[in-house]
Amino acid sequence: MEPRNQRRGGLGWFGQAVSGVLLLILLGLHMIAHHFVVEGGLRTYQDVLNYIRQPLVATVELIFLVVVSFHAMLGLRAVLFDLGLNTVQEKWVTRGVTILGMVMVAYGIWLTITLVSQV
Amino acid sequence: MPPVDSTSESKAYPGQSGRLPRRQVWRWFAFAKRSLGTWGFVLNRVAGLGLVVYLMLHLVVLSLLTRGPDGYNAFVALAHNPIFLLLDVVLIAGIIGHGLNGLRVALIGSGILVRWQHQMLIVLGVLGVVLLAIAAFLVFRI
Repeated sequence: MEPRNQRRGGLGWFGQAVSGVLLLILLGLHMIAHHFVVEGGLRTYQDVLNYIRQPLVATVELIFLVVVSFHAMLGLRAVLFDLGLNTVQEKWVTRGVTILGMVMVAYGIWLTITLVSQV
Repeated sequence: MPPVDSTSESKAYPGQSGRLPRRQVWRWFAFAKRSLGTWGFVLNRVAGLGLVVYLMLHLVVLSLLTRGPDGYNAFVALAHNPIFLLLDVVLIAGIIGHGLNGLRVALIGSGILVRWQHQMLIVLGVLGVVLLAIAAFLVFRI
């Protein structure tokens, strides 16, 4: 049986790869919808509100935020681990990136709700 | 994953080489005896770190939306500055480089197209340049 840290490492790599492939699709959609098909390259304030109020758009953007946060924090953790940390430091890094990722997602949900509910 | 140091293994991803000796990130940029695959690994990590920083900045900038039309539309006007547009192209280069190279790493790590990894690097490199040229054209046309 594989050691526990090796299974975790394998899971981390798998999660990074799967979220990365998902990001190629979600980020592509995000860039096209927000920048390349929009006159002027960026939506104005009112255009952003009109756009994000569509339930499908809000859902896809939130899924995008979850996936990109997960991928970014897992990648940051891998880079920090490979600097040669000890076990205690690794645990703190894992906790730190988990909290940071959760804060990013919570902030995104709050921002989306705030914008959708604006008059 | 291509090795940075062929004798070491990533601690985050056991079985994958690339772990650096303690606090020696500068070794990513050591020029001697580096293969094309290793440069791909270094590019992926540097671009990834840059994209994490950009993600944070992007989320902070979006908070301007909570301040109403004046605050956000002023930023939109500023973002049409040619320097901002150039930075957009740099950002897109980072996204394309990280995305396509990450795809290559994921395929090789899954045992797919391992024998063709150098050819894949060249094909994805060419695809990346083409995509970047199209994106840069769209950015400056807008």
